Amino acid sequence: MKESRGYKIFKVFNTILMIIVVLLTLYPFLYLVAQSFSSEAAIYSGKVTFFPVDFNIDTYKSIIRQGDFIGYYKNTILYAISGTIISLFGTAILAYPLSKPYLRLNKFFTPFVIFTMYFGGGLIPNFVLVNALGLRNTIWAMLIPGAISTYFVLLMKAFFANLPQELEEAAAIDGMGTFGIFTKIVLPLSKPIMSTMVLFYASGLWGNWFTPFIYFDKKELWPVALYLRQIIYGAQSTNELSAGFEETAGIAASVKSASMVLMALPIICVYPFIQKYFVQGMMLGSVKG
Amino acid sequence: MKLKKVISTLLLAAMVLGIVACGKKGDDKGANTNNAEKQTETNDNKEANTEDSDAKEEEKLDYTFGLNTTFHSDEPITYSMMYSDHEVYPYKEDWRLWSAITERSNVSFDLNLIARADYDDKKSLLINAGEASYIIPKTYDESAFVTGGAVLPVSDWVQYMPNYMNFVETYHMEDDLKTIVKSDGKYYKLPGMWEAPAGTGSEYTLVVRKDIFDAAGVDVTALEKDWNWDDFYNALLKVQQYVGGGVIWSDRWKGDALLNIVGQTYDIPAGWAAGDGMQYDPASDSWYFAETSEDYKAFVTLMSKFIKSGIMDSETFTQEDTVAENKFYTGETLLLGSNRSMLQTYKDKMNETLGEGKYELYSIVIPKAKNNYQIANSRLENGIMIASKALDELGEDGLIKMLRFIDWLWYSDEGKDLVRWGVEGETYTKENGVYKLNPEITYVGLNPGAPKALNVDYGFGNGVFMYGGTQEHAASMLSDDLKEFFERLNSYRDIKPLNPTVVFDEDQQEEMNLIKTPLIDYVKSATLKFITGQADIEKDWDKYVANCEANNSQRYVDMYNETYNSQK
Repeated sequence: MKESRGYKIFKVFNTILMIIVVLLTLYPFLYLVAQSFSSEAAIYSGKVTFFPVDFNIDTYKSIIRQGDFIGYYKNTILYAISGTIISLFGTAILAYPLSKPYLRLNKFFTPFVIFTMYFGGGLIPNFVLVNALGLRNTIWAMLIPGAISTYFVLLMKAFFANLPQELEEAAAIDGMGTFGIFTKIVLPLSKPIMSTMVLFYASGLWGNWFTPFIYFDKKELWPVALYLRQIIYGAQSTNELSAGFEETAGIAASVKSASMVLMALPIICVYPFIQKYFVQGMMLGSVKG
Repeated sequence: MKLKKVISTLLLAAMVLGIVACGKKGDDKGANTNNAEKQTETNDNKEANTEDSDAKEEEKLDYTFGLNTTFHSDEPITYSMMYSDHEVYPYKEDWRLWSAITERSNVSFDLNLIARADYDDKKSLLINAGEASYIIPKTYDESAFVTGGAVLPVSDWVQYMPNYMNFVETYHMEDDLKTIVKSDGKYYKLPGMWEAPAGTGSEYTLVVRKDIFDAAGVDVTALEKDWNWDDFYNALLKVQQYVGGGVIWSDRWKGDALLNIVGQTYDIPAGWAAGDGMQYDPASDSWYFAETSEDYKAFVTLMSKFIKSGIMDSETFTQEDTVAENKFYTGETLLLGSNRSMLQTYKDKMNETLGEGKYELYSIVIPKAKNNYQIANSRLENGIMIASKALDELGEDGLIKMLRFIDWLWYSDEGKDLVRWGVEGETYTKENGVYKLNPEITYVGLNPGAPKALNVDYGFGNGVFMYGGTQEHAASMLSDDLKEFFERLNSYRDIKPLNPTVVFDEDQQEEMNLIKTPLIDYVKSATLKFITGQADIEKDWDKYVANCEANNSQRYVDMYNETYNSQK
């Protein structure tokens, strides 16, 4: 079919518009990267825009040489990996039985789960609970309290409900138990939704500063997200009127940018490869459910 | 912002629980306070006794303390404390600060480390969850914790703190302390106390490019002694002409610091200090709503002149600080808001952008309007709260011991030297009253370029511990140009007397907050409209006054005066 003139014009404009949107979205990040490779003087005189000025990697060197940052980074990796495993496991074993309509108690359990989407205990009761359980100042405070997201449980439940029941029945006839069916039949068939969950949970844990802020009193446990928050918001949030004189000194702009780049890097590297699951997974769960 | 919203919503939910749970606690609290009062009485009696009995009492204690005496506990002891971790000098376990405190006092801290950015939020979470540390320093506003009973009314206990009491008496801090008293007649934090307001660091000013002002034929050093805002305006016009027109002033802090400074000279609470817009009139011994006064009119007229003439850009009131700073660093603008810490930062940055020696910065003494006062008049700084938990867990004697430790570390000369300068002979020397930092150590403008930093590498010069002191203490840490600025300031301008205090009870406060919030929001937005030219001060004045009245400004004034008169 030949494209009409109007459609061609539309396409040209559309493309231009999209390119503008892409540039606008990309610019802050490019600016960040450029800053992180530039000298302080260049940043303060406003010379840095798209490309680094006075290119150097001293900032990166000094951040990496400084022991703290590496420590926080290790924590972040630990939390992201172990947290994702725990979350994935928890979500899957909760969603699977909920997806079986013949389990009668689901009528009780499903609303029970959904209830938590709308009502929470509140910050302080949660804090008191986590403290009383002895989780505060342990890595479990980061991994356990928010491990299972109700929304993802429902997403996964919908996905499981759409798997052909006959496969499971066949396996059962061949003598497989419930756990076997779950691990050997259902999970291998659920790779798309699993990868989506991995992405969601991992990126959530990667950028989570609030949970560690609430539960950790020792800096050894801090993830890099909390450290970043400290160096970026530190100077902005104090009461300037009454701040003491040593309080308003700031962290160098290049250090801030470099830290942000280092933090965002892994997610940016991984994202293109799992992006297709990202969209697919959402569709798999929601539309058919 | 989002965090604040989340926390406040959740706190609300927690409060409901708290009301149910606190019934009994509240009673306990009352008992404690009574105890404290009894203690106060007995102690007063004791003070009346001879020194012998004091000495006897001391014999029984397992620690030494006293005025100009080092606090030392016989047994090692640990106190829990919240610590506001500064991103520029992040906490280190092996700081000399910690070992020096322990060496002298046998006390160590069990620290709860909180990033400075979120210190207040986490502080309120921990206090509300009953998990507060005993010592809660760096508290600017304690009001939120007063009614819950989670923090001690320290005013009941200060008589056990000899260094604190000595400072109060020597420098007559009584009236200043009255400003933090709550409706029950007590105060709930141990404030940092300075001999003079300039020490608090709250003196904000403008720093100008003296090299260019000089070239334009404006001698600020001569003018500033006695100039008013019109002189200042004319001087800026001259400079503007010299550089060929255009904007020469784009201020930072979203204009809040500037409005505060200019407002103060007109007796108008504005910008950061807008508060509730109330001002005290000594002539009639009453309070009035300053935002609808003739002074206010003069104040916004002046500010609008800066914008209209193109001297200042209206971005001043919206832009981020870094934008304003960058304009100044590149020489695009020629004056900028400043305080005693910013001056050094400006210099460091401008050495990089313009080059050392190619510019000259000068902190000016602010022009006058209605009065001849300096901007700052409070001698109190942020302070330390003590969790009620400390009394429950340590008992009265234990609490008094802890307070005496606090008294030593925060309020004695020895403690002040220690947290500021470090260990004599190691980090600094003192000859004839002059402190000298070791040459290999740098600190905010002192020994620039030295390899080690007093705060980063040693933990001294630390904001968590450094509040208050004598003028000598305040001046000792200033770089020469700041010292010179404060000398000028003190010789050209007087210190504004404190307004009398009016203390409202909870119910009154609630009603007043309901009036205040929309009223001041309206005033602030109208102020910006007048200044930026979106509204005309002459034409729209009546409408503005009517709107303030419609927002209940008169009711507010009445409440203020009624309460004030009843408390006189």
